[in-house]
Amino acid sequence: MSGVEGREVDGGALTHPSVTAVQERFSEAILRHEVVAGDEHVIYVTPSRILEILRWLKEDPDHFYNYLSDVTAVDYGGGRPIQVVYQLFSITHRRALRVKAELPLSDLEIDSAVPLWDAANWLEREVYDMFGVVFRDHPDLRRILMPERYAEGHPLRKDFPLRGRFSRAEQTRRALSQEPEDYYIPEEFDSGREPQVVHWQEVGGGTEPSADPRRSARDSKESKDRMDTEPAGGDARQETD
Amino acid sequence: MSKRTVEYEVSRTPELGMDFRAQEGPLMPTDVVEPDFGSENMLINVGPQHPATHGVLRLVLELDGETVVRCIPHIGYLHSSFEKLGEYRDWNQIVPLTDRMDYLAPLIYNCAFVMAVEKMMGVEVTERCKVVRVICMELDRIFSHLLWLGTWAIDVGAFTPFLYAFQERERVYQLHDRYVGARITTSATRIGGMLADLPEGWTDGVREFADTLPRTLDEIDTLLTNNGIHAGRTQGVGEISGEEAINSGFSGPNLRASGVPYDVRKDRPYYDYETYDFDVPIGEHGDCYDRYLVRMEEMRQSCRLLHQALDRLPDGPINVDDPRVILPSKTDCMNDMESMIHHFKLVMEGVKSPPGESYLPIEGSKGELGMYVVSDGGSKPVRWRVRPPSFVNLSVIPKLVEGGLLADVIVVNASLDIVLGEIDR
Amino acid sequence: MSETQTPSEGRPPAEGGLPGGMFGSGTPTFLTTKVDFLVNWARRNSLWPMPFGTACCAIEMMASAASNQDLARFGMERMSFTPRQADVFICAGRVPFKLAPVLRRIWDQMPQPKWCVSMGACASSGGVFDVYSMVQGIDTIIPVDVYVPGCPPRPEALIYGLMMIQEKVRGESLARHGEHRFEDPEQAGSPRAGEDEIEALSGPFGNSTLQNQTSGLIHPTPPQRPGDRRP
Repeated sequence: MSGVEGREVDGGALTHPSVTAVQERFSEAILRHEVVAGDEHVIYVTPSRILEILRWLKEDPDHFYNYLSDVTAVDYGGGRPIQVVYQLFSITHRRALRVKAELPLSDLEIDSAVPLWDAANWLEREVYDMFGVVFRDHPDLRRILMPERYAEGHPLRKDFPLRGRFSRAEQTRRALSQEPEDYYIPEEFDSGREPQVVHWQEVGGGTEPSADPRRSARDSKESKDRMDTEPAGGDARQETD
Repeated sequence: MSKRTVEYEVSRTPELGMDFRAQEGPLMPTDVVEPDFGSENMLINVGPQHPATHGVLRLVLELDGETVVRCIPHIGYLHSSFEKLGEYRDWNQIVPLTDRMDYLAPLIYNCAFVMAVEKMMGVEVTERCKVVRVICMELDRIFSHLLWLGTWAIDVGAFTPFLYAFQERERVYQLHDRYVGARITTSATRIGGMLADLPEGWTDGVREFADTLPRTLDEIDTLLTNNGIHAGRTQGVGEISGEEAINSGFSGPNLRASGVPYDVRKDRPYYDYETYDFDVPIGEHGDCYDRYLVRMEEMRQSCRLLHQALDRLPDGPINVDDPRVILPSKTDCMNDMESMIHHFKLVMEGVKSPPGESYLPIEGSKGELGMYVVSDGGSKPVRWRVRPPSFVNLSVIPKLVEGGLLADVIVVNASLDIVLGEIDR
Repeated sequence: MSETQTPSEGRPPAEGGLPGGMFGSGTPTFLTTKVDFLVNWARRNSLWPMPFGTACCAIEMMASAASNQDLARFGMERMSFTPRQADVFICAGRVPFKLAPVLRRIWDQMPQPKWCVSMGACASSGGVFDVYSMVQGIDTIIPVDVYVPGCPPRPEALIYGLMMIQEKVRGESLARHGEHRFEDPEQAGSPRAGEDEIEALSGPFGNSTLQNQTSGLIHPTPPQRPGDRRP
């Protein structure tokens, strides 16, 4: 097996005990193995079996990758699949491994690793926010860095322009029509509501600026989720000082 | 469950009349629904503009009396899209972005980024450069911990340590200033070396700082460590076990306070850290007090490291002799056609990296700081990802504060040593 | 850059700002100038800053308040963390769009008279962050009195900027208070600048334009270059 970008794996010093073991255990689910930057081992796995493989890597006493350093994603652009990257480290064995799963743009869904590591919670939310990768069975999958009703898309995708899709005036108008008091209602937090993905094309780039930004924001919000969760005017406000 | 609802009028600027009284819109709650104090929980909002959230963190707390029932952190109020911006910048142009990310320990971030890129490109820096970077990183570990110490002291109710800590920080500012000309935004590293060799007498300044810092630490120690109020306020607050801390992704001093001896400098050594003689302080209980003790001890250990690094600082060039990454000297450029071409290409196109990727973790001041760089062969990264230590550390805060008191939220938050620039990126 | 806003329609023109009577019809008299002097003297030596610190500049702002550069020398030892009792709003650091409504709300909460210092390149113009998430200068949202350049500005620069605020206070007059300090309550929570002005203020310039051209990742619909920043 050889990597596209890494060097040929030719045995000897370039083998990794966990890679050999995981290849034996999940033979057909390990698509390929690469060694990059000298000593970093990467395995590409079938996305549908990611949770199984991660669980085995975490719980097998010979490998015991108990520390999840990072979950992130890479978009190479040009319609190529998005890679979800897991950086694993075993504090016991002092061994690092990188696991990658390639998701085609048409099917950006993968199992969540939160059942295994709590650390995955916010990291996966960030990947969802920035790339639009949906993590199945994530307890609380919603945007983390961008505002919850951000309508321009997922910023770290390669097709997202650096300055965003809307004009600066529109971005400013939208920003100021947010309610600073907005918070996530605990009831919603419990119920694990489906995340709402609004595509920027559907929003229309703000072609019709509203005369009263506050009113329009409030209307849309109430129609979206306030009405069904609580009576009108029931949003608690706090002073920000 | 329902909640207490208080509706305030959107505050408006009152017009001041001749008598300096507001002419309209008195700032009074206009529509107060009287809360039912029976069994209902109350929601309160901390931040994003709050002196004790260390930036623009926002916590929504659900309180039962004074006990925190639920804590929902909101971040992203400082999202500056570093990673997206990095895709539009040369490798060397990203260095100035890294120190704006963690402005408490800028040199550590500068070093971490170029280390990852050098590893991907296969560039081995010179011995002198390695030691200089170790000095820089340890200096900024102290720099960051001192700010943490000052704000921590303010948050637990002591003001004097803040002034002491800032006096020491001012000396580090001056060291930065003498080396790179800026106080915070250092941008000191380049792919393959540093921006310049150390200025004359700089090492003496560092040595003097490392000599005298422990004295100030002793003074602060006297004020805080055995102080009954400080101990009572922090011991047993925000406890987390070692196993849980690993599972939650804790790293750095926070993880070590829970008794897990994981230090990237020891466990995945870089820049010959295995040859330095230093100890890794370990806590016992995993509470706020232990995190305080671990950081205090880390500053002393960093002083030891500074002494050792200064002693072994070798002579020689600071930049690698590699025309792919380092600009040739001006003399060569003017005399030698080949150097001129290298100079032109480096300036116009930037450093080019072969296709590949690298993830390099180092021990930042907040925890494991990983830089993940992906290149497709151009002079700009396909992806530049920072594994943010305080982002992951902060994600544990609901676990730490739930069940505790409202006043402890501030202490727990201060003990985690977060920096919002790096959390939100 | 920070012109005062024009009074809305329907409101009597603020000429003189005061009804005729005790202090005359708006022209400075001996009495008003003396009162102005006293009031301005008191105000400018006890300005209470409201530190809105977000990023790197906040650290320098803390350094200005700490031992070496002692901001208390200028009557500012009381950092007012509540906007209700503050005079000078110091916006120190980057302001993303997510934070913009908070910024505006805090500004609206401050009582008159109030002044604003935009500290650092990011707060003043967006700085290096010409990206999707950043406000390109807080002057699109709130009026700014003094811009302190630098990335981050040194404490000396911040102190100099605050002293410029003090100079500005010295020149103010109660007789023209309404004219200078008028704010339309209906405008609370909305951007200070109009759409055209926001576009002009936040158009790409200098390095950021070049970056996009050379990267090959060009904006699909290149925004029209509105020319240089307005004076």
